[in-house]
Amino acid sequence: MLRFFFLRLGRAALTVALVVTFAFVVLRLSGDPALIIMSVDAPPEAIAAFRKAWGLDDPIWLQYLRYFSAIGQGELGQSMRDGRPALELVAERIPATLALTLPALALKLGIGIPAGIYASLHRDSLIDRIVMVTAVAGFTVPSFVLGLVLVLIFSVQLGWLPSGGQESWRHAILPVLTLGIGGAAVLARFTRSAMLEVLGQSYIRTASAKGVPWPAVVRGHALPNAAVPTVTIVGFMVGSLIAGAVVVESVFSWPGVGRLLVVSVANRDLAIVQCILLLVAITMVSANLIVDLLYGVLDPRLRSGAKAGAH
Amino acid sequence: MTHLTRRHALGLGAASTGALILPRFAIAQADNRPSITIAVQKIANSNTLETLREQSNVGTRTFYSYAESLIDTDWAGDLSLRPGLATAWRRIDDRTVELTLRQGVTFHNGETMTAEDVAFSFGSERMWGGAGQAGSAGLFGSVTAGAAGKQPPAEVVAVARRAFPGFEKIEIVDPQTVRFVNKTPDVTLEGRISRNVGIIVSRKAFAEAGSWLDWARKPVGTGPYGIAEFKPDQSLTLVAHDAYWGGRPLLKQIRFVEVPETASRINGLRSGEYDFACDIPPDQISEIEKNPRHEVLGGLITNHRLTTFDKTHPQLENPLVRRAMTHAIDRQTIVDALWGGRTRVPKGLQWEFYGDMFIADWAVPAFDPKLARELVKQSGYKGDTIPYRLLNNYYTGQVSTAQVLIESWREIGLNVEIESKENFPQVLAKGSTRAVRDWSNSAAFNDPVASITAQHGPTGQQWQIGEWRNDEMGKLSDELETSTDRARRKAMFRRILEICEREDPAYTVLHQTANFTAKRRDIQWKAAQAFVMDFRARNWGGIRS
Repeated sequence: MLRFFFLRLGRAALTVALVVTFAFVVLRLSGDPALIIMSVDAPPEAIAAFRKAWGLDDPIWLQYLRYFSAIGQGELGQSMRDGRPALELVAERIPATLALTLPALALKLGIGIPAGIYASLHRDSLIDRIVMVTAVAGFTVPSFVLGLVLVLIFSVQLGWLPSGGQESWRHAILPVLTLGIGGAAVLARFTRSAMLEVLGQSYIRTASAKGVPWPAVVRGHALPNAAVPTVTIVGFMVGSLIAGAVVVESVFSWPGVGRLLVVSVANRDLAIVQCILLLVAITMVSANLIVDLLYGVLDPRLRSGAKAGAH
Repeated sequence: MTHLTRRHALGLGAASTGALILPRFAIAQADNRPSITIAVQKIANSNTLETLREQSNVGTRTFYSYAESLIDTDWAGDLSLRPGLATAWRRIDDRTVELTLRQGVTFHNGETMTAEDVAFSFGSERMWGGAGQAGSAGLFGSVTAGAAGKQPPAEVVAVARRAFPGFEKIEIVDPQTVRFVNKTPDVTLEGRISRNVGIIVSRKAFAEAGSWLDWARKPVGTGPYGIAEFKPDQSLTLVAHDAYWGGRPLLKQIRFVEVPETASRINGLRSGEYDFACDIPPDQISEIEKNPRHEVLGGLITNHRLTTFDKTHPQLENPLVRRAMTHAIDRQTIVDALWGGRTRVPKGLQWEFYGDMFIADWAVPAFDPKLARELVKQSGYKGDTIPYRLLNNYYTGQVSTAQVLIESWREIGLNVEIESKENFPQVLAKGSTRAVRDWSNSAAFNDPVASITAQHGPTGQQWQIGEWRNDEMGKLSDELETSTDRARRKAMFRRILEICEREDPAYTVLHQTANFTAKRRDIQWKAAQAFVMDFRARNWGGIRS
């Protein structure tokens, strides 16, 4: 199990390093931050001074080494726009984003999983059809369209809820719904598929044939086995808690990490973008790592497989 | 013995809270002035409110509420100059303007404006990067974006130099009189002084700020509204400055909120959350006005959309090709089809508010496809590709306009191809595919040196990045900057227009820019001929009941 853990940990660290490297190179190849931040009208000497001050004149490999060594010392750089530490600026925005993504995650789990289970247990019934049609609709409608439709109904037509901003808890309702509905649809579909696959297995028939009450079969045999693919999806959702609301934050003018990312990419504020991507990579990789470890808990065969591999 | 039960404690707590709240409530009750919320695409590109740093259209929108220049501009009227923080001004000589300061002007921090504040506002600490540093090699050596210390960032100094290229000093004659002294003769000094970089700010507030950035996020000016809170990328809250020299402001609070999506701004207006929604595309106007409670105001502003040429590109080296391109465009059709006729084709790169310097008989090249085809033929153009670097609707209707242009040029036999770009540095980067691109030019004050020479002359962007240069135009630009012979200046301006728009085209003007603001119809307010929003008492007619 220890080897299994360290193997996964090593892979996670490599993934984070690759993401950061990719972001570093792409950002520097797609536009000069000096020209964007200083404006294209700035005198050449000011642009040159800006490049020098931020080390943008150095070869990219040197900038890269410098950046990696700084990360090693816990230094994530300063915003080129206002000179404040990048981590501080990003950290300021995280609570706002979590205020949307955490309730949305609860909504996804609270609606998606029960709906998926219910639909699978009542396959081909009217409710199953309704759940699946709703799930497909929720899954396919882009979040910005769903967000605008919700605004048109609840803000413009009915006047019940605000259309954007972050002044009160009421402002969070529509963005949370927008995020939650799409995610719940995805979860419902996956849960239903996983359950249907498990319900078709011979051990379920055996348990039923042995006279185990159906609720006990579902609880004891179907749900734990169907949990593995569902946990994978939930892992992705947990991983996207920090930057999973980029579009929704823009539609609802919600000042979270997503908005900061959009603005910082547009301004080529490299330190901020890199800091956000690093945090996103770490969150995503950590979530995946936890999911990997949960596999071992949920499915003992994976543990023994890892052990077998160790010998 | 006194026993304090939980109920008593709660009662006392409630009473204390009430005592704390009631007086404030009473004050709030007394102030029944309306507050408004304005949805904008962006509040400040630089995330500062210091006009020397925030030189953008979006910054222009807000600054006029919290700060003022010595010489004001009639934004909602004819853009003429009028008394601001100076009640009068007069020329001492070709390089000196003497200004009489308005008395009884109070900053938002309660301090009275003095001649020293004026000298400070144009002084080294705010504008030129600290004593003894201007022009030195170390000037741009420590770009910290102003987060630590009081040293302004490099771009502040650069903007100041461009705005006041010949600035020498502010001379305090007496407590009520100052002189703006230039090193060189300049007939445009009054216009330059009126620019938003010339706002007067509190010297004391600057001294008390923790850093340049702290200052730049909450500059203390004299405008009718003071800055209560600025949340970068989110909102700007301004509150009435009741000691304003022009009388008690009619609004209690103005709140600008950043709503990047057009649809969200419009929806917020419809739902009643916003009183104004800015940056409305022309194709949304009729939809918004279907609701009788809303209307769209605005229109022409002092900005023209251009297509610029890189004359060093092999296909554009011959001016005949560029001239052909200027004659191939049916500008009026662009105005009618893409702007619903809500803008116009101007008389070249100039505006009527230039006054005597406006050349009324000038016009953009006529739409003449036959002549254009003839010019292409004469040029010996062989059909090679002419790249057109294009941004995705950075300017209103930019992509649609580009498609019209491409077809117009195809009609006369030119093979122009669009190359999509993500940002301006990619558009401007020197290379074999830099040939045609889009731009817009504004005039910050009422003289051609504010636009054509500043943008296309030797110090202008097009010249500086190596896209276009013309020696005769360069000499004329330099002379226009310092000449005091008004007749000669006008003749020079005409010649510059001839060179830049006809003989050796640097650009071609497509149309004037229009800026639209949606608002509640019951609010009596007039839009300016600029991005500026004026909420002074003279431009606020109240809310119709």
